[in-house]
Order: sequence, then C-alpha cells, then structure tokens
Amino acid sequence: MSAGTLSPIPAGSGLLVHLIRSVRPDLAEIIAGTNEIETAVIGLGGQGTRHAGLMQKFGTKVTAGIAPGRAGERIKETIPVFDSVADCVAAHPNLAAVSIWRHFSSAREAALEAIAARVPLVVLISEGIPLRDVRDIIAAAREGSSLLLGGNTPGAIFPPERIKVGMLPDVFHPAEPEPNQAGPRGVTILSRSGAILYHMSDALASAGIAQNGVIGVGGDGAIGSTFRDLVPLVMRHDETDLVVVAGEIGGSQEELFAADIKARPELYPKPLLALISGKHAPAGKTMGHAGAIVAPGQEYGTFRSKRDALTDAGVTVVNSQYDLITAAKEILGTKTYFDCGKYYERMKANWETLPEPPSWGTQITLVEPNNLVIAGIPLKEIIPERSLVQAAHLLVGLSLPDDATTAHLEALAITAAQEPAPAAPVRAGEQLSATLARFFLMDEEWTPATDEPEEARILTAVHSLGRAARFVAEALGNGHRLDDDGEDYSFGELIARAVGDREGTTPERVRLIEAMAVASVDHGVTPPSAQATVLAATVRAPLPMALASGVGAITDVHGGAGMEAAKYFLACRDLAKERGIKAEQAASILLEQASKRGGRTAGLGHRVHTKDPRRDILWALAESAGISGDCVAISKLMERIFPEVRGFSLPINVDGVIGAVVADLGLDPVAAKALFILGRVAGLTAHYFEEILTQPPMRRVNFAQARYRGLFRDPV
Amino acid sequence: MRLYEHEAKLVFSEQGLKVPENYGVVRNADEIGGLGAEFPVMVKAMVLSGGRGKAGGVKKAADVAEATAAAESILGSVIAGYPVRTLLIEHAVEERAACYLGVTINPATYNLILLASPMGGVDIEGVAREKPEMIYRREIPGNDLELPGEIAAEVAGFLAAGIEGGAPEDKLADAVGKLYAAFQGIDAKVAEVNPLIITTDDQVVAADAKVVIDDNALYRQRKLFRLLGLTEARHDSSELTPDEKRARDAGFPFVDLLPPDAPSDPDRLYVGLVPGGAGYGIFSIDEVANIGERFFDGKVVPVNFMDSGGGPRLNTVAEMFHLLMDKEVVDLIVTSRFGGISSCDVFIRGLIKCLRDRHAEGKRVLPVHGRMVGTDLPGAKAFLEAAKAETPEVLKDMVITVGNQKIMAEVIREGVAAAFAGRQS
Repeated sequence: MSAGTLSPIPAGSGLLVHLIRSVRPDLAEIIAGTNEIETAVIGLGGQGTRHAGLMQKFGTKVTAGIAPGRAGERIKETIPVFDSVADCVAAHPNLAAVSIWRHFSSAREAALEAIAARVPLVVLISEGIPLRDVRDIIAAAREGSSLLLGGNTPGAIFPPERIKVGMLPDVFHPAEPEPNQAGPRGVTILSRSGAILYHMSDALASAGIAQNGVIGVGGDGAIGSTFRDLVPLVMRHDETDLVVVAGEIGGSQEELFAADIKARPELYPKPLLALISGKHAPAGKTMGHAGAIVAPGQEYGTFRSKRDALTDAGVTVVNSQYDLITAAKEILGTKTYFDCGKYYERMKANWETLPEPPSWGTQITLVEPNNLVIAGIPLKEIIPERSLVQAAHLLVGLSLPDDATTAHLEALAITAAQEPAPAAPVRAGEQLSATLARFFLMDEEWTPATDEPEEARILTAVHSLGRAARFVAEALGNGHRLDDDGEDYSFGELIARAVGDREGTTPERVRLIEAMAVASVDHGVTPPSAQATVLAATVRAPLPMALASGVGAITDVHGGAGMEAAKYFLACRDLAKERGIKAEQAASILLEQASKRGGRTAGLGHRVHTKDPRRDILWALAESAGISGDCVAISKLMERIFPEVRGFSLPINVDGVIGAVVADLGLDPVAAKALFILGRVAGLTAHYFEEILTQPPMRRVNFAQARYRGLFRDPV
Repeated sequence: MRLYEHEAKLVFSEQGLKVPENYGVVRNADEIGGLGAEFPVMVKAMVLSGGRGKAGGVKKAADVAEATAAAESILGSVIAGYPVRTLLIEHAVEERAACYLGVTINPATYNLILLASPMGGVDIEGVAREKPEMIYRREIPGNDLELPGEIAAEVAGFLAAGIEGGAPEDKLADAVGKLYAAFQGIDAKVAEVNPLIITTDDQVVAADAKVVIDDNALYRQRKLFRLLGLTEARHDSSELTPDEKRARDAGFPFVDLLPPDAPSDPDRLYVGLVPGGAGYGIFSIDEVANIGERFFDGKVVPVNFMDSGGGPRLNTVAEMFHLLMDKEVVDLIVTSRFGGISSCDVFIRGLIKCLRDRHAEGKRVLPVHGRMVGTDLPGAKAFLEAAKAETPEVLKDMVITVGNQKIMAEVIREGVAAAFAGRQS
C-alpha cells in the first residue's frame, strides 16, 4: 500500500532477482525478461490465506496457493490451488518465491518439496520446527538450488519491486528518484527478529533512507541462511549502498559473522552497520560443555561477546534507534533517497483509509436492482438465446459452451433424466419442494467432482439437472413420458413433457417452457434456497444432500409465487367469462377480495427489482410463440390495476409472469413452481461448487457480506 | 527441556548404554539406609546445572553413615542458583579411565558434531583449550538417524589410543553409536557423557549424563515422557517470580528484571513494557535504558521483558496490561504494536478493554504511551477514535501514536518526559 503509488522498478534491476541469480541464474534471466515475479503460498490455513491477500494488496503477484488435497480450489476466490509444489511449478515454471505457512509438525515436508522443485527463494515462515527437521531442510537447501530464509522469519520485502513474501507490515519505502517512480538504490536490512527489522527500517525511513530489501533471516536456533551467507551476497548487488544487520543475544551467529568478516574481508566490500540488542538483558543460563568444546575459549551468546567481536572486525555497532540513524547518516553522507514529507503523506493516506468492511466474493451472479448478470452476461440476453444446459455451463464454468459441447451436454442430461427415479413416495397434498428433496436424498450416489477439472463439475451439474427433470416428472405423474421411446427429442422437450405439456407440442411451446426455467436459474447467494445449499457446502455435504437442502427451501413462501399467480390469473379469466366482464375488472374484484382477507398477492413485488429484468423478455417470448392469451394480458395490466385497488404500487415479478405464461399454456399451475425449481437446480449446483472451491470448510457465512467479484464483460 | 541426570541415564540405558546401578532418588538423607545399596555409592545433587562436581554436589560414600552425612551436606545447598531438593544414589563404579563423549549441533553449520576425548572429567573445557589434539571432533553432515559404523570405530580408536593400556574398542564404538542414536531418537540438542568410564573389568559405563531436549520437538516425544513418568513439559527455570508465573499461566513469556521485593527509588521512573515480539522485547529494554541515560540522567528503569508478539488474542493483550498495572513498582507503560502477523486492531481493543475494566473496578490505571502501525491499522484507528469519544475520562492517560509519524524511540522519550512532568505537577 505504501509503495502503491510508486511505479515499481524493472524486476531485473532489483535485489530479488539478484538473489535468485545466485541460485538459479537461468531463471533470473527469464524473470528479468518477462518482468513478472510470481510467488506462491504454501499452507492455506487462516494465516497463509489472510497474508496471501495482504501480499496481493501490497502489489505482489500471488500466482498460486499450495495445499495437499485441495487442487482445483481457489483462495481469495481467485488464486488457484495446487496439490503440490511440483504441480504448481509444472504449471508456472517461472515461480520465483514461495512462503511456507504450514504448522511446525508438517513444515519439513513442505520445505523439502519446495527445494526439490527448485524454487529459488523459499521463505519458511513456520516457527518452532523441530531442529532435527530443520537440519533435514537445511541439508536439502545446501544440495539444491534454493535460497532458504527462516524458519521463524517474517519473510522478506523488496520495496522497489513491490514484492512481499511473508507477513511484514506494508510500511517499507523504496527510493523515489523521480516523482512516483521507485528506484532500486538503498540500504539492505537483515534481522533475526521481525519487530526489530520493522523498527530499524522505520528509523531509517524517518531520515529519508530507503530500503531495497528488508529481510528476516529467522529467529529460530538453526536457520537456512545466516548473516555470513547473505551479507556478502547482498553486497554484490550494485544498488545496495549500505547493509544493516540486527543481531541479538543468544546463539553465535554474530560472532561467527564477525570471524568471517575478519577472515575474508574481500567478501565485504561495502559499509556495514550492526544493531545488537540485549545490552540490558538478564544473563541466561547454560548447561553442558559441548558448546565450549565446539568453540573453545570463546565467549559467545552475550551482548558483550557480539559487540566486541563485530567491533573487532571493524563493524560499527549500535544499540539504539537514534544511534542507528546517526551512524547510517555518517556513512551515507547527505544522500537522501526520497522526500520525507511525501513519505509521511503516503503513509498517512494508508492509515487514514477507512477499513474495508468484511466481505466475501462470488463470481456467479451479479444482482442489482433491475439487473441480473451471470458471469458477465445479462440474464435477459441468456433467456431467449440459451438452453438450460448452456446456462448451467455458464453458471458452473463461467463461460458458454461451444455447439459440440452443448450437444454432448444435452445428450447427457437426457440420459440422466431417463434413468428411473428412486422409489420415493409422492404424497398427495405435499409441497412439490418436499417431494423433490426426498427424491434427491434417496437417489443413487453421485460422485462428487470437486477435485476434478472444471469439465467434470459441469458434467455433474448437467447430471443434476437431468435428475431434477426426472424427479419433477415423477412428482407430477409424468415419469412415463420421459422413458426412452426411440423418439429423438431435445432436453427442452423433455422438460416440457416433465411438467405435463400436451402430446404433440410445438417447438415454440418447448422453447417458451425452457425459457421459463432458464429465467429462474439463479439470483445470487442470498435467496434462502442458495443459502441452504451454501451452508450444506460449508460442511462439504454431498451435492444431492446440498441440493435437497436448497430445493427443500423452495416452499410456497420462497419461489412458490408462480403457482399461486397462475391460479390467480386463471381465476380472473374464469370470472371474466362467467360474468361477461373485462378481464381487468375481474382482476380488480379478485384483488379486492384477496386484500380483504389480508392475503398477499402472488407474483407481485420484489425485494430487489422494481422492473424485473426477466419480465419483458418472457412476455415477448410468449407473444412470439403465439400463446399469449388472457392471463398474460392480465399480467401486463397488473401494475396499473394493483395501485387502483390498494393505493400503492407493486411491480410484477418473474413469478407473476411465469404464472401467467403457464396459465396461458394450459399447464397445471404447479408447473410454474416445477420450472422455477428445475432452473434453480443449475444455480444451486454452481453455488455449491463455488463454496467448496473458494472458501474454507465450516466458515461462518454472513450472506449480507457477499459481493459480486466476477466478470463485468462478455466472457465468450 | 533439560533432563536430570537420572532421567538422562534412563534414556541412555533404554538405548542399551551401560549405566551404574540406580538405588534411588531421595529427598531426605535418612532414606538412604533403606535403599539396599551396595557400597560404595555416589551421592549426587539432582539439579539442572553443570559444574556440580566442582560445587561439591557429588560425593562418594563407602557406607550408609558416610552417604547419609554426604546427603545432609548436599541437600538444601544451592548450586548455580538451583536449590538441591533431591539426590541420586547410585553405585560407584571402579574407574580405570575416564573419557568424554558428546553429540551436539555445530552452531556454525547446524550439522551434528561428535565430540570425544580420552581425557574426560570435570576439566574437559580446560583440555579443549590447552590440549586440542586430545579432542576428537567430527561433523556428521547427513542428519542420519544412525551413525555410520566406520565413524563409531574411528572414535573408539581415537579414545583407545589415548588411554594407558588401551580400551575395549568394540564396546566404545557401540557406546558412541548408541549415544548418537539416542540423540536423534529423542530429538536432543545436547547428549553428553562425562565421564564415560572404562572400568577395571573393561566395561564401558556412562557415569554421568546430560541431555537437553529440543523444546520444539517435545510434542512428538510422548514415548520419552512416558519413560520418564512426566505428564507435561518441565519448564526450565530455577524459580519463577509470582508475576512470571502469572504470565506463564496467561500464555506469554515474561521476565522480571528486578527482584520482586526490590525497593523502588522515588527519584526514578519505572517503565513496564508491552513491546511486540521477543526481539523487540529485548531491544525495547535497551531503548528505555538508553533513553534514560541520554535524556533523563539515568533515572529510567525498565522493569520487564515481555514477548507480546505472535498474534495474541484480545484477552491475552488485556492481561499483559493488567499484569503491569497491578505491579506496584511500575509508573508508566510503554507499548508498541508493529503489526506483522499481529493485528493492531486486536491490540488496541485489548488495551482499551483493560483500561475500561480497571476503571470500572476502581483499580489503578497507569499512563500508557505507545504506537501502533502495520496490519489492520485503519480498523484499529477507527476503533481508537470511537473509544476516545465514548469514554474520554478513562482513556485520558493513554497516548497512542497512530502510524509511523514518529519513531518508537521518540514515543518512549515523550512518554518518559510526560511521566516525569506529571510527577512534578
């Protein structure tokens, strides 16, 4: 965020590619050429997932997440997940860095995998890894082509490239040689402790001193790269003017570093400053002679031993932020890297930003007043042009199928619908949703396709549509009409048969019936049926179970209005005939009667839309199919009639329109509800898969926090 | 986690190393008579510290009377800060030669390193210093679970060559291999036998044993715990102060820098620290002391080390402040939240919860000066501003700088100056 307003430097001139060059010169050149630095996150628990998002926010490209058994999922709704580092590298061979967030008991396996896959920078965030495991990791890194940072490191940040691999706060600042343009020069800071790293960087920034790399080497007892591994490497970077290291009491890294500086001064050609902490710390206790025998006669681990060793090697040692600033200024002279005033303004802009409200994303359907868009395509364009299986493909795969795929999916849906339904009772007087839910629960086991490629999920969705069509037919007593009678018919016609359309139907009637199902496919994550299915998916219930939950929620209260509306329009028509009055008069009379009984008027009103985007297109289709009759005509007048009776306005909704069309088609009113449920099975299946692929199990779902994060353009 | 000698010997013995017969671990001198020991015995102070021999914590006794007298003199003494509460009574083996044998981690390379000397005993460090040729050192780079046989044989050869009259090389090689395997099997950081005795009848016996287990690996050492009869990890400390114990129970590392009963000097300002991670926990002590020396005539005293990093929960954050506010000596609390993995938001909510609860309960509320920057700062800032508007009186002595508009050293300096100024007015 802090560097957000500065354009990053070309990757090739930065410290990160310089580090990569030391282990993977081939890859360093490729990355310098593509100017794209790809990173991945291993271990997708709470912290790994959260910080993947924070890294992205800083401006880093997080190409992938890696967690065994979770391939095909997405984190932060968009970052693809791979089962292993090897799989990730096979797909993204230029992967520059990984951060490992796994629990200490399984960090070893993750690190060994990353090293075996030759990832150039491996940042081991995990802390508290058993030393025996750490030795295995370090041995592998020495043999391999990886630079290992940590364990127990906050990671590394490269402000000029805007790359963060780890959990460091976003406060580090690059040079700004030209306005709003980052520069590669600066000081490189390395520290054992995370917070000391931040406080050092902060102190230098307050004096206008930029950092081109802020690197946590790790706070554990044994770490992948020590000061004496990294400082000579960093000093070879042309753009580094000064190296600052922060050590602390405990261990012997600083003493060994000092000894190396004395023994091989040619490796340390640039100025070096050390901040050592622990001057006022109480003395610790030691036990055993082994340490003293390894390094006989040498004191180590104390503030004094570290300070003296480094001073003796010619390094300036400080113990406070004030002295750090003074000493760095002495070395760098009057050189400044950026305007401090502008730096504070930029920082301030960061913390003055209002916190973003918590949210989660769906890429399936955008729901806004009078507008419904599925994966980038307005639903009102889908209704007249696409079949139900094409809509399912769009919902689940976020793209439309080509003609060959469509034909294949149609055939699959028909096959699924021709399989007999389970022997479930169809109880008289029971709500259709309850009957259908029972069929889903009792159906033959379906193979869940969550870890399969997207194609398999689409096939599963189409299978579920075929089964739903079968169940609808059974529930309405039309099952026998779906059986394979050697006749060649489309899935659309199969739907028409399922809801009881007459023998010898016409293509126009079929098209209209299917269009009503397509109009019902989805309305985002907030309808109760979608919520029920999503909640079932949070606990990874099997798809038929989740569909039973969702379908079962489509009672007369939710999604049942079409049936009631059809009955109402039919009653209007009959009353008009009976009394020889105009249909709209009959509509007024019945509305008044209903209003006196205090009942709701089915098919009117919507919690989102004042002009339902599905309304006009269904009316138009009914018109062009030549079935538009009295009921459709009444439905078009409702917006005028209703306020005259009730004194306030309610728009007609999609259920009202479907009810009118079903009535004019001469279908049983229950067909309106059947078509709604059948279409919605496609949407529910899509939400089921999206939940499993993009969200952690057992999350707490706040449906009001859902935001559409999908396409806004045509995905074809 | 350090093991007591008798525990370490149990581990070695389980691995197949020969150890002297253990007659018992006693708390009272008068228990020795009932142990049925065969004399002579060794009476050894069981404390988690080296240098017991030099400190008079190990004595040889020829009979019950001598052993009882030795026990009485050792029990209750203090060795390197550890009061002696238990004694190991074990058989005294007849020694022909004493070797040193150890496995540890080379701090320079993190490889395992095998150390041996035919000149074992209490002065092994002197041998290492003055006669380095008498020390065998070899790194074992592969981190294998078993030691390659040829290395064990090489060590045995080295030891035998340095012992007058030679030594049984096969038994020595066996001991070396077993020590190494024990080290790896129990996830040790140090496994050491000094002395490793060659007895007059040419047995190889581990007469002393030191083991430090890697705390990070304790979770997977249930078998070891069962062997030792331990139900949970033993905290490696001599005596915790009451506040150190309180912090441990609350789940955060804390060290008192002053003795609990130290008198406080009214001229000085005592500063409690809620600093962030362990590293800044150490550095902030230096910063407070240095700022005291530089600007306040050396009259500023840091009172504690604390590791408040690693993403503590809200109630833990509140307890960190409660502990210091309950501590009578503290005048001012300095705090820093540089949010990396920790959230500024959780931090400020925890701090304000503490202040409000104390205010409501009529407890002492100390001034808190600090700064927060980093992860979740925007949310934390919004919460802080709303809280100040809601309860201005409760939060009037809490001065939290939002963002890095000044460095932490400056925040400390201003906090200390304000506290001294408040004292004068």
